[in-house]
Amino acid sequence: MNIVPTIGMETHVELKTNSKMFCRCHVLDTDNPNESLCPTCLGLPGSLPVPNKKAIEFITLLALSTNCSITSDGMFHRKNYFYPDLPKNYQISQFDLPVGTEGSLEIVVDGNFSTVEIERVHMEEDTGKSTHIGSGRIDSATSTHLDFNRAGIPLVEVVTKPLIKSSKEAVSYIEELRQLVIDLDISEGRLEKGNLRFDANISVAFQGDKELGTKVEIKNMNSLKSLEKAIEYEIARQSKMLENKEDIIQETRHWDEKKEVTTSMRSKEGSADYRYFSDPDIPNMILNEEFVAQIRNNMPVLPSQKRKIFIDSGLSIEDANNLGKSATWIGDLYNSVSTITEDSKTSFNWITGELQGQLRKLEKNSLPTWLTPENLSSIIKLVKDNKVSFTSGKEILAKLIEEDINPEEFAISNKLIQENDIDEISKLVKEVIQDNKEVLERIVNGEEKLIGFLVGQIIKLSGGKVNPSVAKELLLKEIN
Amino acid sequence: MTNYKLSISKINELFKNKDLKPSELYDEVFERAASTESIIHGHLTLFQDENIKKAIDSDKRYADGEELGVLDGIPIAIKDNINISGHATTCSSKMLSNYISPYDATVISRLKKQGTLFTGKTNLDEFAMGSSTENSAYGPTKNPWDPSRVPGGSSGGSAAVVSAGSAIASLGSDTGGSIRQPASFCGVVGFKPTYGTVSRYGLVAFASSLDQIGPITNNVEDAKLIFNSMKGQDPLDATSIKETNVPQPKTENAKIGIIKELMEDGISEDAKLEVHKVAKLLESQGHEIVEVSLPITKMSISIYYLIAPAECSANLSRFDGVRYGNRISGSTSYEMMEATRAAGFGSEVKKRILLGTYALSAGYYDAYYGQALKARAMMKKEFTSVYKDVDYLISPTTPSDPFKFGEKSDNQLEMYMSDLCTIPANLVGMPAISIPTGLSSNGLPLSVQIMSPANTDNTLLDFSQSLEEIVSFSEVPSMIGDKK
Repeated sequence: MNIVPTIGMETHVELKTNSKMFCRCHVLDTDNPNESLCPTCLGLPGSLPVPNKKAIEFITLLALSTNCSITSDGMFHRKNYFYPDLPKNYQISQFDLPVGTEGSLEIVVDGNFSTVEIERVHMEEDTGKSTHIGSGRIDSATSTHLDFNRAGIPLVEVVTKPLIKSSKEAVSYIEELRQLVIDLDISEGRLEKGNLRFDANISVAFQGDKELGTKVEIKNMNSLKSLEKAIEYEIARQSKMLENKEDIIQETRHWDEKKEVTTSMRSKEGSADYRYFSDPDIPNMILNEEFVAQIRNNMPVLPSQKRKIFIDSGLSIEDANNLGKSATWIGDLYNSVSTITEDSKTSFNWITGELQGQLRKLEKNSLPTWLTPENLSSIIKLVKDNKVSFTSGKEILAKLIEEDINPEEFAISNKLIQENDIDEISKLVKEVIQDNKEVLERIVNGEEKLIGFLVGQIIKLSGGKVNPSVAKELLLKEIN
Repeated sequence: MTNYKLSISKINELFKNKDLKPSELYDEVFERAASTESIIHGHLTLFQDENIKKAIDSDKRYADGEELGVLDGIPIAIKDNINISGHATTCSSKMLSNYISPYDATVISRLKKQGTLFTGKTNLDEFAMGSSTENSAYGPTKNPWDPSRVPGGSSGGSAAVVSAGSAIASLGSDTGGSIRQPASFCGVVGFKPTYGTVSRYGLVAFASSLDQIGPITNNVEDAKLIFNSMKGQDPLDATSIKETNVPQPKTENAKIGIIKELMEDGISEDAKLEVHKVAKLLESQGHEIVEVSLPITKMSISIYYLIAPAECSANLSRFDGVRYGNRISGSTSYEMMEATRAAGFGSEVKKRILLGTYALSAGYYDAYYGQALKARAMMKKEFTSVYKDVDYLISPTTPSDPFKFGEKSDNQLEMYMSDLCTIPANLVGMPAISIPTGLSSNGLPLSVQIMSPANTDNTLLDFSQSLEEIVSFSEVPSMIGDKK
């Protein structure tokens, strides 16, 4: 019988507000510990939390853009558990009345659309950061260093329904969510900085089974690659156990990046009792229609909308999706260029391949002001119309990145315009064959790689003006 | 000359007329403390030396006619669960014996701006949990009227020092009666404002939805003055509220309801007689007295002892020895936290944390905490509906006069019952004041409590002031009398 995996994702998104969630401390990007602290985020006796309005706007934006229903009368709850880097030993979070519920997110997997169902989107505060000395874990550390700069930074937790079917789908979902928070301008979205942190809940069952298998939670996946590997490892581990009729324990497992295995962290058999209750320090969060409408009206273009525009322009789903992950100006440039050139795929290739590649080599993150959709389009057209070779096109582009030139004038003055007159080229072909009879003989006898040599001779003879593919075509005709 | 029993406005007049200097009053209050503290132990810390300079600064302001307000130069005692920057905030707990606060509570910063002086920090039941100040880790406070009796609690220190004259007034906090009950036991005025009118920022939380800071004073006028000096919305407290316009109760020809359920079993004859005496006086002033029934008040103790411990179980989690306070070491972080909490908290605090943890636990939440929330909502409804008919409600503040040390510490329920009359005001969020009106058959102070709808604090205070005048209670503890 086939074994099918079921995956649910829990993702924490760190919002990029200026101040923390419940106090006015700055959100700092620093390695110096304990620089941004106050009585509230340190949990000093007598301190009180006051919610950050900007963070609530941000989460509402995220909830709306994932098609969630907005809870108009939500509240903050206290989630009680003891941990040294949790200043109050409870985390202010949300429980049964989160900001957003029952949403969905369109994703692209292997060039096809898929939908991830969102269960909830809720607001909470981040904890401090523990560094366990002498061991990576709290129970075997010789000492633990605590940094509370992170304590109180606003986090949004996005929880999917357990309906994800593969590691690829999970990775695509995280990529889409990351792009979404970047486009919404609510998070830096940098995985390596921990702006997005995800856990996966994985179970396996035989196809057709009515009940899901026992859920195992995987933590400590710090990149998309480790997410993919960890899920695949875990599916394989559980599938083998299921086939061998072994009991799968409900537990939290740790992804070991080096060994590429998951190891048991703690058993969740008793399932922690967080004793949630409404936080009496914070009045209910009223998100009325007016507030929600205001957020909705100021919503930027979403990744799915961008993707649709690209697809409508003629790109494949895959290309459209990749283009959507580029910086906004690249998408905009594509839209203008593809309109001028009326060739979506070629425009896409030039922009995402050649242009971005050259910029990257030069370590540039933006276009020079003179590089307009118009002059980029004229390079693309020169190549497309066979007026210049692809190699020359790249050369012109490099020059254009360097200085303000007119691509066509540059091509003419630098003698890059190709000879496209068939009769003229045929003459050259005949001349080259005449001069290289021995080579021709060897080609006829099967040394096909020498064709390139002859093509090179033709181009040389023309002073570089002949389109190589035309030359090759005519040469082959002549040989046969 | 003794000035420590004068009203604040009278003292201010003396200051302004150069008949008295703040530094002289300050010295007088500390002399008073020197002679009374060894008996009553109301202050945990005295700020004498530190504030001498501040008192002289105040002298100068008056001399230059630049005083900051009527509270300038007035020495006020602060309950030791309210943070004053640079001073210890112990909450009368071993847990925080070494804790120095790095910040001022909002009430403190507001009083500082008006030139108020602080005598020191006063004793309380540990983390404000108790009704006798017997639960202090630093020893109990004694009642100035009779040192063999408790001063009440949890703000026992704050009430005792005002009664004994070692402060002109004090701040307390009231979660279930912790201002009013000790004020009653010590024969002074205690006022718990509407929930949210005074910022809780800097008050160490016991039960966040019930806690409220308020004044303990020699008279209603002082209470009104201090209340108005520290009230007002605070950007640092999300539960603090703007002043709202609500229909105010009448002050002339008002209708006053005696709560039937707070005049029944468990209430001493003395306490009942006191209410009837005051009711007659009010009638003689043209007010109408009626009996009202609020059956849910019978459930006050049960509701309170689910909600308050539940909230405190989370509020007190932060005391773990990790970042501040005392730490007992252990071989792991968790052992350290466990050992710290085991050693740092007293038994009453532990009892309430356990009670609250249980009430919030999976499988019990609905039966206990959830039910208590529903009952609390019902109580609010019952009071709202009664206030449609009456302007004020009246009851005893405490079921009896002050009890003796140890008398109720063996009977937990009886101890908890001493808050029977005061708890509803916290659960409902309405203002309530305790005014001393007479002496019991033991010669100890008795008070009545008056309550009014939320956000009618100043009207309640005005009405109470007129009642205070007709009652004209002028008794003082004998330790004061001896001095006079």
